[in-house]
Parts: sequence; C-alpha cells; structure tokens
Amino acid sequence: MNRKKFWILAAALTILTLLTAQCTPSPQAPVAQPAAQEAAPGEEQIELRMWTHQNSSFIAANEIIIERFEKEHPNVNITIESFPYDVFIQTLQTSMPAGTEADIIEMFGSWVCRYADRLAEVPDFVMTYSEAAELFFKAPLDGYYCDGKLYGLPNEFNIENGAVMINKALFEEAGLPYPPAWKNTQDLLANAQKLVKTDGDMMSVAGYHFISGDGLTFQLLAGILQRGGEYWKPDGSGLVFTTPEAKATLEDMKSWVTEYKVTDPFLFNRDSNWVGNSFFVNQAGIGFIGPWIVPEARRQFPEIEFDYVPLPNYAGEKHLFAADAGWGKVVSANSKHQEMAQEYVKFATANQENALTWNVATGTIPALKSVAADPKILEEAPWFEASLKVLDDGRYVGPLPDRDLFWNEIVYPHMLAVFQESETVDEALQAIETESNAMFKP
Amino acid sequence: MTGVRKPRPNRWQRAFSTQNRGRSLFVASALTPLMLYMLFWTLLPVAWAISLAFFDYSPARIGAPPLGFGGDNPFVGLANFQNMFGDLKEAQQFRTGLKNTLIFATLVLPLNLAITIPLAVAIEAIHVRVKTLFRFVYFLPTVTASVGVALIWGYLYHPQQGLINMVIRAVGGSGRIWLTDPRAGFLGVPLALWSIIGTYLWWDMGYNLIIFIAALQSIPREFREAAQVDGANTWQLFWNVTIPLLRPTLLFVCVLTMISAFQTFDIIQIMTAGGPQDQTRVMVLDIYLNAFRYQRMGWAGAVSLVLFAMILIVTFVQSRLLRTKWEY
Repeated sequence: MNRKKFWILAAALTILTLLTAQCTPSPQAPVAQPAAQEAAPGEEQIELRMWTHQNSSFIAANEIIIERFEKEHPNVNITIESFPYDVFIQTLQTSMPAGTEADIIEMFGSWVCRYADRLAEVPDFVMTYSEAAELFFKAPLDGYYCDGKLYGLPNEFNIENGAVMINKALFEEAGLPYPPAWKNTQDLLANAQKLVKTDGDMMSVAGYHFISGDGLTFQLLAGILQRGGEYWKPDGSGLVFTTPEAKATLEDMKSWVTEYKVTDPFLFNRDSNWVGNSFFVNQAGIGFIGPWIVPEARRQFPEIEFDYVPLPNYAGEKHLFAADAGWGKVVSANSKHQEMAQEYVKFATANQENALTWNVATGTIPALKSVAADPKILEEAPWFEASLKVLDDGRYVGPLPDRDLFWNEIVYPHMLAVFQESETVDEALQAIETESNAMFKP
Repeated sequence: MTGVRKPRPNRWQRAFSTQNRGRSLFVASALTPLMLYMLFWTLLPVAWAISLAFFDYSPARIGAPPLGFGGDNPFVGLANFQNMFGDLKEAQQFRTGLKNTLIFATLVLPLNLAITIPLAVAIEAIHVRVKTLFRFVYFLPTVTASVGVALIWGYLYHPQQGLINMVIRAVGGSGRIWLTDPRAGFLGVPLALWSIIGTYLWWDMGYNLIIFIAALQSIPREFREAAQVDGANTWQLFWNVTIPLLRPTLLFVCVLTMISAFQTFDIIQIMTAGGPQDQTRVMVLDIYLNAFRYQRMGWAGAVSLVLFAMILIVTFVQSRLLRTKWEY
C-alpha cells in the first residue's frame, strides 16, 4: 500500500465512522430474551425490535408476554430497547423522520394521532375498529383511532378521575372516620378543612391537594360533563369553555381555595409540593391523582398507610369524565415485518391473559373490558375498585391537535391563575377557549 | 552568464513539493478528522436549524423527500418571524422569554462583576498560602454539575423545609415562597427570577474569579508602585489603576458571561421549569419546549435564530465599547 492509498483509506474510514455514528441516544442495553425455539425448516427467522420507556415494571410485563409470544412463534425473536421517559419522547421525534425506530413501539395513546403519518394502520385481518370497540373501552381505544383509521391497540385506560388518595395517619390525627363515606363534595371539603395544618405563616398540610398538574384539566372537563355541558363545539371544529357549566365548575373549584381554604395554591401545585410528593411525606390529607401512582408509592413509601377511595360526583348522578388514552402498542410504518408486529400487538393487548398480566405488573387500569370484569384484577390490585366502577362513564377527551400544549400551557396555567386570584373565572375561561382554538388553525 | 530563469513555483506547487509533502500530509491528516467532525456535527446542524426557521416543520409529520422539507412541512418564508409579533400563545411566550432572557442577562453580568472583581482583588491581596484555599473554595461550585446545584438550591428555597426560610424565621422574619409565587418581586423583577439569579451567580462566579485573579497577577507591579508614590490610596489604586488595566480581561469576561447567561437552561428547567406564570421562561427553555415537547421545530428554529442574532449584536457592541489599543 503506497502512501497515497493509505491516506485515501484513512479519510474514507473517518468519513464512514462519522456517518455510521448513532444520531439518537443509545437505548439501554437490549434486554436478553430467552432463545426462541427452533423455527420450522424453511420458515423465515423474524427479528423484531420493541421500544418502551424505561420503567422496570413495564419492561418486566413485556418480557413475560414476549416469552409467551415467542413460544407460539418459534421463528420470531423480539428484543426490547428502553429509554428514560423524556429521552423516549425525543428519540421518537428524531428517529421516526430518520426511519430508525423499532418495529413495535409502546406508545402513549394521546401521542398516536400526532405520529399517525409514521405508523402502520391495524389491518382488518388483525382487528377492525368495530371489533376493537367491542373488546376495549372507548376512552382508551379512541386515542388510537385517527381520521377513521386504527393505528394500534391500548393496554391501559389512563384515568385520573373517580377516586382520590387518603392518608390514614392524618385522618386519625384529625379525628375523622377512616375510610370516609363522602356522599358529596361538601362532605369531602368538610373533612379536608379539618386536615389542614399551618406552621407559622404557611400552610404545612393541605387538606385536599387537587391542583395536581394533569389532574386539574381532568377535573374541569369532568365538572363540565357532569353538569350536562360539553367542551367541544357541535361540529367538532374547536373547543368551547365560555359556557355556564364550565363557569360553574371553575367557580366551584375556586371556592375550595378561597372559601374552604383546603389548600394553598402557591404552596401546593404542580411545581411546588406536587401531590405525588407531598402526599407521601404527610403534607396532604387527600390527594387527587390517578391510580397509576399507587404501586410505585407502595414500593417507595411502605411506611405510609393510605387508601384510594371513590371521589363524589361534582354534580349529577353519573361520574362522567373525559380520559386520554393510556399506554398501548403501535407498529412502525417502516417495519419490514408489519404483519408479525401487528400479530404481537394483538397478542399483547387483546388477549385477556396477556392484558391481565400487563395491567397487574404495571399497576395500570385495563383498557380491555374483559380484564376489568375479571375478579383476578381486584385480587391483585384492590385499589382499582373505585376506578373500575366508573370506567363505563368515561369517554375519550377528543382529537386535540396537541394534547400536551392544551394540558400544560393552556388549561393548567389559567386555572392556577384563577386559584391564585391573578385572573377572574371569566378571563381564564375566555383565554382557555381562545388559546385552545388557536391549536386548530390550518 | 545569462541563464533561463526558473519559474517560481506557486503556493500549491510549494505545498506539494517533495520536501513539503510530508508536512502537508501531516497537517491534512491532523485537520481532516476535525474538519469533518465540525462539518457533520456543527455546520450541518447549524444549516439545518437555519433551514427549519423557514418551514412549518414538525418531526411527527412526513414532509417531502429527501429531507422532510415541503409537503406536510411546508415552506412558510418569514411567517415564523412575522408570527412572533402576533397573538398566538407561542408568540406571547416567545416575547416573555425574550424579556426574561434580557432581564436575566442584564442582571447577571453586573452582579457577577460586582462580586468577582472585588473578591479577586481581596484574594490577590492575602497571603499566598490562604490564597490557594480561597481560590479552591470559590471555584468549587463551578465544577459541580449544574443539575446537582439546581436540585440543592431547590431544597434550600423550599418554602416549608428550606434552610433559607428556616434562617429567616429563626431571626424573626416570615418565610417567602421563593420559586412559585407570581405575586412576589423586587424592583419589578419576579422573586423567582431573583432566586434563580442567586443560584446562577453562586454556581458561575468561580470562572470569572479565576480569570480576574490571573489578570491581576499579570499587571506589572510598577504601575501600582508608581501610583502609590504619587500618593494614591487603596480605593484610587483600585478604581484608577487596577480597573483600567483589567479592561481587556473585562471584555473577555463580559462577552463570555453574557453568552453564558443568554444560554442558561438547565438550572431554570430544574428549579422552576419556566414558572410561575412563565416568569422564568427564558429563550433557550422556550426553544427546548417548542422543539422537543410540542414538535414545533420550525418555530424553535426561528427563535434560535433570534437568540443567535441577539448574542451576535451584544458581543459586537461589547467588543466595540471595551476595545483597547494598548497592552502591557
């Protein structure tokens, strides 16, 4: 090799190294899967990759289901790659345009329509929408249904409404019956007032911590629906919040802060003493949050005794509420083995045994109706009882162009501003309506 | 004797002459990887970001091949920049971010200088053995990870259990809600922003301190001695001798501190995430949220260009104002 050739080769190798370097963050090392059984002669060996967020219980649940699937399909090997939650979102955004995403993605239902361009439609031989609607609750399923096409199937019914956490030690300290038997919101607020503690110039224990980030939007929407109102325009072209039902809901919630004084909106909100933190250090007697917090909380705070009990209706007879779809599984449009990937999605979500395994292991409310009706679920997760009772009253929040923007930048800040008395109820509802409808601009 | 004059080799011929070939190859081999690295990881991303600013681009949508520009990610010309003056939520937040960034940088720079220059002079004046200790102590926060600094200061500012409120209560005062009360402020600046500035100064001042100490050590002793012979007192020495001689260093420090303040992100993201009521939302946080949370990469690219222009202008103005035509 002469010198010229050497330098050409060196330059080529340098370029090759740079070009092949990964643009996306490295996922956690693939989870070792048990070796698949010997494939039948002539059968194509299929390698599938599956992405999930880095949560040990989610990964463990998926490993069990994958093992079952591989036993039934010896020619298939599925490898899990996981990412921390924030990295997962960013990795999806960067890898999908590059076409380097996995075949199967465990995706949150509210993201699905945003990525629909890049996802494979569920083929009819796997399941039609009407078949899916028979099997799954409509609220989580509709998150996967975009412009008349089904793009995946849900495992989880993501619910925040229907129940609240109660802290046993604080209830007993306040001399309140435990568990409480609230007939209406007034009963809850009366208890909450007795749970409040102050230390000098500041509230040290919130009686009812309901300013909980995502939970605030869910409460507003539930309040509107339970009062017989609607937050979608009749033609579905946008949102409407300047309604008597929305006003009554927000005024009611404001009174919990300003009249009942069950919490301090400056000290107890999403960014300060978030309910998922403050409740488990005895700084909140009652906390509004979804049941998904319970298994993790039991692991992290075994010394805290708490229960998850039914939340009274804001109004009306039914506990109507809006939910956004929870975790489920979708297939990339770039997958070379879409049929097998879709088979796996069905196997993991629509098969009762597998869905039950997944919900129990992850501590999530089932999206599959038959799992919700299965007594085994309550044996494994008794705290689900209050939530399971109201699942039929839930509906999908609707096709919001940008769910996170609506929740985080529009509704939450204006509702908090009302509680902090820097906006009136009317100003806040007008702003929510205007800013929400700006999301629908062409 | 007359002879044919040999033509003088041009610079390319000179560079690749036998005697220079080895040297040229060495230079090429040393620079090529670096240049390729810069091309792929710096220049191309910059070009990409500039291009994004002129498209309504979202990574969630499939645009026209091969780069995804066009199609569902249409070319919008200057619309992203024009919309910055409009009523959209993102435009309001951009303007808030711009205002907060300017306030933050404008306060951080003089406060940093007001702390680090006198401190550097004081440290330089003490005994050499103690000097090392002080340098070490003041530089320690700088080498601490910003995430750790933000978390620790978040605990210090905690309204109920934070050390700062505990001390205030111990001396008879009443505690403050440092990071989440939108009502609280001082001199028209929100308390949350002041709190972050405090953390940032504590974390960042070590760099400037070390630079100023090095600059003070390089000032020839004769200037001070001459001033002392002329009867200058300590204050006059500091103000009329030390500060003017620090001018080149001041330029360097001002430019770096300002750029660093304009680009602050991690401390704010962890301590307040831009709250309360966007009072600490700065431009880099706004860019991050738009690009990676709301998939508005075109918009984020446009905001990035505005930030780039701001940094360019401020750096240029500073370099004009603090330029010197002398050296010692």
